[in-house]
Amino acid sequence: MIRNFLIGLVLASFVYIFYNLYVSYEPKTELTGIAAHYAEQGAKEVGAANLVTAVVVTYRGFDTMGEVTILFLTASIIGFFLKLNKKDEKKVIIHKGTSELLVTSAQLLVPIIFLFGVYVFINGHLTPGGGFQGGAIIASGIALLIMANPNKEINHHAILWIESISGIMFVIIGLLGIALAGGFLDNRFISLGTFGDLFSAGAIPLIYSFIGLKVGAEISNILNKYQKSQKES
Amino acid sequence: MEYLNLGKISLLIGFILIIIGFWGILSQKNIIKIIVSFTILDTGINILIVSLGYIKGRTAPIIDASVPQLADHNVLNSIVDPVPQALVLTAIVIGFGVTALLLAYAMKLFKAKRTLEINQFNDLKW
Amino acid sequence: MVSPIYIVAAALGVGFAIGVLGKLGKNFSGILTLLTLGFMTYVSSEWLYAFYFGDQVSTYVFTAGYKPPISINLLMGPQEAFMSTLINVIGLLGGIYLFFNFGRKGRNAFVVYLVFIMSLNVVIMTRDLFNLFVFLEISSIATAGLILIEKGNRAVGAGFKYIIATSIISSILLIGTIFAYFYTGSLNIDDLVKSDLTTTTGGLIAVFLILIAAILEMKPFPANGWGLDVYEGSHQGFSAVVSAATATASYFMLYKLLDIAGNSWDHYIAVIGAVTFIGANLLGVKQKFARRLLAYSSIGQLGLLMLILGLRTYLGDNLNYVVFGILLTNLLAKTGFFWLVGIVKAKTLKEWAIIRRKPFFLFLMGTFVFALIGFPPFPSFFAKWTFVMDLAANGGFVWIAVILTGSFLEAIYYFRWFGYAVKADDNYNFSFNVRWHKITPIILLTALLYIIGYLTAQHTELGRMINFIPLFFVLILFALDFLPVFIKNTIAIIGMGIYFYFIYPSLSDLKLLFEVIFMIGGILTLIAGYAYKGKRSGFYPVAILMYAGLTGLIEANTTLQFFFGWELMTAGSYFLIIRGKRSMPHALSYMLFSVAGAYAILAGISIANIGQLTTSLSIFNNIQYFPQWAYGLLLFGFLTKTASVGIHIWLPGAHGEAESDVSPMVSAILLKAGVYGVILALIGMSKSQYDLSSLTYILGWVGALTVLFGNISAVFQEDAKRLLAYSSIGQLGYIVFAFAIMTQLGWLTGFTYVINHFMYKAVLFLTIGAVVLRVGTHNMYEMGGLIKRMPLAFVAVLIGITSLSGVPPLSGFTGKWLFYNAVIEKGWYFQGVIVFLSGGVAFLYLFRLIQTIFLGQLKDNHRNVKEISIWFLIPIYTLLAGLMVFSARPQWVLQPLGDMIANYMPQNSIRWDGAYAYTAIGHWTGSGVMMTIGSVFLIVFLILKLSTRKAHKIKQFDIVYSGERPDRPDTTHVAYNMYAGFYKAVWPLTVPLAERFWNWMTELVHEAAGFTRRIYSGNGQAYMLHIVLYIIVLFFITIGSSI
Repeated sequence: MIRNFLIGLVLASFVYIFYNLYVSYEPKTELTGIAAHYAEQGAKEVGAANLVTAVVVTYRGFDTMGEVTILFLTASIIGFFLKLNKKDEKKVIIHKGTSELLVTSAQLLVPIIFLFGVYVFINGHLTPGGGFQGGAIIASGIALLIMANPNKEINHHAILWIESISGIMFVIIGLLGIALAGGFLDNRFISLGTFGDLFSAGAIPLIYSFIGLKVGAEISNILNKYQKSQKES
Repeated sequence: MEYLNLGKISLLIGFILIIIGFWGILSQKNIIKIIVSFTILDTGINILIVSLGYIKGRTAPIIDASVPQLADHNVLNSIVDPVPQALVLTAIVIGFGVTALLLAYAMKLFKAKRTLEINQFNDLKW
Repeated sequence: MVSPIYIVAAALGVGFAIGVLGKLGKNFSGILTLLTLGFMTYVSSEWLYAFYFGDQVSTYVFTAGYKPPISINLLMGPQEAFMSTLINVIGLLGGIYLFFNFGRKGRNAFVVYLVFIMSLNVVIMTRDLFNLFVFLEISSIATAGLILIEKGNRAVGAGFKYIIATSIISSILLIGTIFAYFYTGSLNIDDLVKSDLTTTTGGLIAVFLILIAAILEMKPFPANGWGLDVYEGSHQGFSAVVSAATATASYFMLYKLLDIAGNSWDHYIAVIGAVTFIGANLLGVKQKFARRLLAYSSIGQLGLLMLILGLRTYLGDNLNYVVFGILLTNLLAKTGFFWLVGIVKAKTLKEWAIIRRKPFFLFLMGTFVFALIGFPPFPSFFAKWTFVMDLAANGGFVWIAVILTGSFLEAIYYFRWFGYAVKADDNYNFSFNVRWHKITPIILLTALLYIIGYLTAQHTELGRMINFIPLFFVLILFALDFLPVFIKNTIAIIGMGIYFYFIYPSLSDLKLLFEVIFMIGGILTLIAGYAYKGKRSGFYPVAILMYAGLTGLIEANTTLQFFFGWELMTAGSYFLIIRGKRSMPHALSYMLFSVAGAYAILAGISIANIGQLTTSLSIFNNIQYFPQWAYGLLLFGFLTKTASVGIHIWLPGAHGEAESDVSPMVSAILLKAGVYGVILALIGMSKSQYDLSSLTYILGWVGALTVLFGNISAVFQEDAKRLLAYSSIGQLGYIVFAFAIMTQLGWLTGFTYVINHFMYKAVLFLTIGAVVLRVGTHNMYEMGGLIKRMPLAFVAVLIGITSLSGVPPLSGFTGKWLFYNAVIEKGWYFQGVIVFLSGGVAFLYLFRLIQTIFLGQLKDNHRNVKEISIWFLIPIYTLLAGLMVFSARPQWVLQPLGDMIANYMPQNSIRWDGAYAYTAIGHWTGSGVMMTIGSVFLIVFLILKLSTRKAHKIKQFDIVYSGERPDRPDTTHVAYNMYAGFYKAVWPLTVPLAERFWNWMTELVHEAAGFTRRIYSGNGQAYMLHIVLYIIVLFFITIGSSI
């Protein structure tokens, strides 16, 4: 009883706090602060048409490195958290077959999904999308695969290699930024190219591709772990 | 309602989702439901972030055909704030990571006691 | 200089690479991780070195090549370098400690750990709010993962609670961050600090949300159940890292973010910190389990850090010094402690008795306990000192009370725990094993603790003057602990002798008198140590530690040196006392009263220090503000050591149960330290421009009542050593009373008592102690007739009690005579009568002492006991010789003392003429009285001898005469319950009111703790409710009214 009262009190108070925030909110009419700088100089400084990408990969690239790290961390933790013992590892669980529809459409769609994912991250600096989105799309392909063939083991090593190499490349590109340009994760050590081209915006397409691969690999890794954990007794 | 523009509406929705999220977190006993409440909370916050970057009548912060490229400074007057959109991306990814971990925890907790009632897990106290 | 960005790059690069390289083996991954941590440590410590020993200036690191706020930047300044070095060092050592624990989980565990340490570095360095959020999340997630290296459901439960709690906190932070960005257009913390964010309602709420998140990361009481569970539930190797490294990062995060609100939040932070500090330590008092206790303690330390941060305006430039001192000590000692818990694996505090199977571990534990409580020479001692001084200087008296109360609560449970470790029964059948990789990091931490303590002292203006030579001597004795008693005793005596020889010329008057008592007394009591066989391990370092403290008191010129000596003396004497067989509870109460007393002294000094230009001890003579409080606190502190009535309850047990040669050390010698302090305070009061007579009046009553209660209690003791202990209480009451008179005669009386008590109490305790060693019991009714077996001991006790009782012709009478003069001159008749009557009571117990032990019938089992050991007789008879000289020629000592006292008390009411002393009331001569009494005694003796020629000796079985039933002597023995009749008359005065009061207080604290800790129900959802309730309560307290 007291508990419900307290919960009600908390929620009412939050309503009060948010009400105050809401009332004092005046919709923006102008870009201010750093946003104005990005809008005015972004294209010139970074060379990416997609300013969100410019912010994500370059201006706030350090955050993005943290983001990638979070995924990596989650995958690693789940890796040892859901680790199976040797006996369970060898156990084979035969799942019932899934629907014909799913299997067939998976065969058809998965390559296209992969291709689309790659497209999304390669064009991250030009169109909506980017490494995270592309990576998530790729992983959704993997998810489809798992659902269609629950008895099939995903090639764990390939995922691992992709994840590791793309991660290292990300860091190396970041360091190249220090060596060749203005600082860690500076994209300008590769020429900015022609604005709007696929090969433009310096190292952004490169970085975003590695991010895309890494994110895809990590999410797939997590999915893989979840799937395997069903074997735990 | 002239002053109820899109920014305000989405802000409101964001707040409502956050409140719902808190309600779920505090009152649901089932761990899975609590985790779902967390994702609702996260979603609310994400909507909040995006709506704070919204400027009425402007386009996405991508400099392409939809942005009249008369001069550079024109971009300033035609796009919404790119920063919240970048931040929300990070927030989503973090939310994903946390949720994945929470689910892994839920699996282990269930294995431990064959229940998902949160009040069964109070071995450590006082 | 290696750019700090390489800390991140290296950690992430290696972390990512281990994914593949890990195929080469777990150990390979582990070693790679350690190497990377080593590299990170190298980078940050290189910066630290450059800041403190070079002229490095703070440097920004710009990412992406753009200046902030366009891009994220990191700052490497002196504070950042310090904090990140701490984190990396702990990270490296923790990596070594946990090497195989990680290994069992596979390479991923190493990666997570590496990323965890890296993220804390970024939290320290980043100047971008959102970036801070991201890396905070990384550290939270990594923590939630690393909790799992501990097996079992408890760890899983703790991890789950932790991750849901931190998710709520980070949600709040994120909402605050995004609104802060909305209102300022920047995410750079420096921009936010400069902006006028708090002028708008929305901005105000945004700042509130950001700060409340930062505060919640500091695990404030009571919204911290999740934090406690992490400390308790995860592997202790990792708890240590959380307690040290995460706490450092959280503190620094709050420190950075606090500036956004300007100074307006300082007060709240201080209150939150205070509540946390006291709350956590209060609950710690009730705790029985080692892991959870450390959890409470860790949270308490976080509270202390918040308290310090909130009080930064009081501290000014000293903020960092105080924070570094507290943080360093807490970090090193707490980490070491957690790791120790991980090795010893005893669950309850009592089970920690097993630690003393490996004495080195006991040493480590002792080091950590004393460091955490803030004893010298550890950095926290200096930090606490500066903190309290600065607070007093700016009028923060309430805060001083808060800090000292919290620290006191902390002392309660740490010393109880340590007491169990040293003394509790060890009858457990489990043991603990030590592996090199677990113990090496702990040893390194311990070494660092001592080294940094020494360096801290050298780097402060005040500390540089502290004399460390006696401490090095202590260390040498530690190293030589494996040698037999004979050699160590000789070394100790020679060391003290040499020290005294060199120090002697520089002392005079008061200092000389007390140094002689401390040092010569020390050497004499040490001689008795030759009677012991074997190694007597651990005795000499702690005994010398006490003497080092005592001589430190004498040599002190500044208040800090004085306090330093005081604390060393306390530490040393605690270890001496706890050596006794049944001393565990008594040592604890001794320590607690000592700590409370020390805090009173600290508070007193801090008030005395207000407005002073010098830190010299002479400030006691010129206290300018709140003199009643300052002197009152100082006197209270000193009186805890002299065991005045009400705060005396520690003494009987502590002195009574101590070893035979320790009792005289802690009675005849140690109690004089309190007297020395009282005298210093009274000298100051005599010079003060304020009227402080009410304080001395109270002191006089305290002294008088102490005499009464001490003496009456002594009468009813069956235990010979306890009898002497209560007698000490009474005698110290005389001393306090005499000094409180505040006249020349009064002080002369006081000094006479000081010298007398030193000599006869040393004689009595040594003799009785030696007798106890021979007969194997403390109970007087189990002894009797020992005059036949140990005549030399009998003579010693006879002379001792004669002197104590104050009958002519010995020096006790000198004191009595001066005493009556002083009381009459002062006009304190009522108190004087009480003291006078108590003197009569003293005869009862003194008679009992000699009658029941040495006279009467020899017990069957004592027919073959030998005379007490020669090694006791040597110091006893040396002291007796001194006693006789002082009795016969008191003017040799009293005349110069009188001249010295005249400096403070210029009444000049006593005049010396050769052996004659004249006062307004009459005159007296020591040797004259001796001769007179000697003649009278001789005459009476001869008359009796002649008139009782027919008397015959009573045989043992001549029941008619001896009045004892030989079959059950202890029940019908005249010595048993000897003063039953007297008891009927005075029993109301023997009701142990003080004991009851303190027991009631203890009960109260335990009840309060027991009631409060129910909020930690263990339910994760309840903990989340605590967090959100905490948020809204703080919301309405802080900004609720202003929007």
